[in-house]
Amino acid sequence: MPRITEILKCVSDMTKQSSNLPEAYIKRAMEQVEWRTPKAIQYRQTEIKRKKFRFTTNRPWTQQFEKQNQPGLRRKKVFVEPILEWTFFKGDRVEILEGKDKGKQGLVNYIIQERNWVMVEGLNCHYRTIGKKKNYPGMMVKSEAPLLVTTQVGLIDPSDNKPTQAEWRYTEEGDKVRVSVRSGRLIPLPKLAEETQDYKTKSTYIEQEKDTPAEELTRITFEPQLKTFAMDIADKMGIKEDRIPRKTYWY
Amino acid sequence: MAHLIIGRGNTITSMATPSYVALINSRPLSTSAAALGKRNFRKFLTYGKRGTRYLKKDMRTNPDPELEKVFDRGVRPVGVVTEKKFKSIPEMIPEIIVPDLNGFKLKPYVSYKVPDVIQGSFGPQDLFYAVYSDKIAEDVKNNKLNEDGSPAEPSEEELLTADEAKKKALSIGSDMY
Repeated sequence: MPRITEILKCVSDMTKQSSNLPEAYIKRAMEQVEWRTPKAIQYRQTEIKRKKFRFTTNRPWTQQFEKQNQPGLRRKKVFVEPILEWTFFKGDRVEILEGKDKGKQGLVNYIIQERNWVMVEGLNCHYRTIGKKKNYPGMMVKSEAPLLVTTQVGLIDPSDNKPTQAEWRYTEEGDKVRVSVRSGRLIPLPKLAEETQDYKTKSTYIEQEKDTPAEELTRITFEPQLKTFAMDIADKMGIKEDRIPRKTYWY
Repeated sequence: MAHLIIGRGNTITSMATPSYVALINSRPLSTSAAALGKRNFRKFLTYGKRGTRYLKKDMRTNPDPELEKVFDRGVRPVGVVTEKKFKSIPEMIPEIIVPDLNGFKLKPYVSYKVPDVIQGSFGPQDLFYAVYSDKIAEDVKNNKLNEDGSPAEPSEEELLTADEAKKKALSIGSDMY
């Protein structure tokens, strides 16, 4: 049986968690099959599809991502430094260490873990014109550029408000926490870390009409009875059946 | 194709006249592979090339019931074929009973606020405990068991035999056979 997670391995945990989408959907949306052999006895079941994706600021299930990873396209390999434990979360205060906005502090807005990228709100921006036509000069838009987590950005140590490297360590109680390497001060997780497409925080989620609330979900209405499913339904619906089918034998 | 030569041929160089008649019985033998001549059509699929026309006509007019069962893709029959005609039996047609969902509290989605619910599975042993355990405990306390362990005053469930239970389950219709 082919491994289900071969494509999904590339998509990072932060992306999957913040999207609230089922993994099977992400895999299905990302799939780019160039050719699949017909379903016939003379064919060996094979398919030519993309295995190496180019991750961008567009999420893997979007149409723009699909266009950027079309079957015919050959893109140069992007080398990404593997980070064992990811330390950046949405809403974190960071300082930019390189580039135009060096020295400035801001909040993390968007995370692309597959490229070790982080977008800081309002910083490291550039201007681009959209919709330029013959008569129309176009609309100018300010957009942020991603910053590399390894070199261009550093988490801010709350004790002295200066950039630092962070590590995951365990407290005496056994909780896993982020700790500044320089001073040893705890860097708490921001509130917005649990933000997803559907809610800012789980407790502030507004229940919609198709959502089952907690009391209904946890209520146990099952009463064990010596009946099969069909017998139970027949009793409840008032269906009476006295006929007994002929005996069947297994040999 | 090689020809296997049985018997001996003439030898021209021998001085003496041959005393036997040369019989060349040849039986053709294929020494090439069985796949020789077959082509693997990779760019297009061909349909209906297997079997002679006679065979295909025969299969259409007199279908083999056992072969049909192999290729029916799991479709349950709704009737029976008698004398080349199909007779639909109403009991074989499944009747889908959908209960009235007015006032049903469970919705299709679960709210994000809800904590994870972890429940163990409810198996046959759990069902046994739920149905019989109370009565058995009472009998033991009040010494209402016979020597071999069977109850002196069996309840309705305890009187049920395996055959009876199966008949009950099958009468309303079930997947068990």
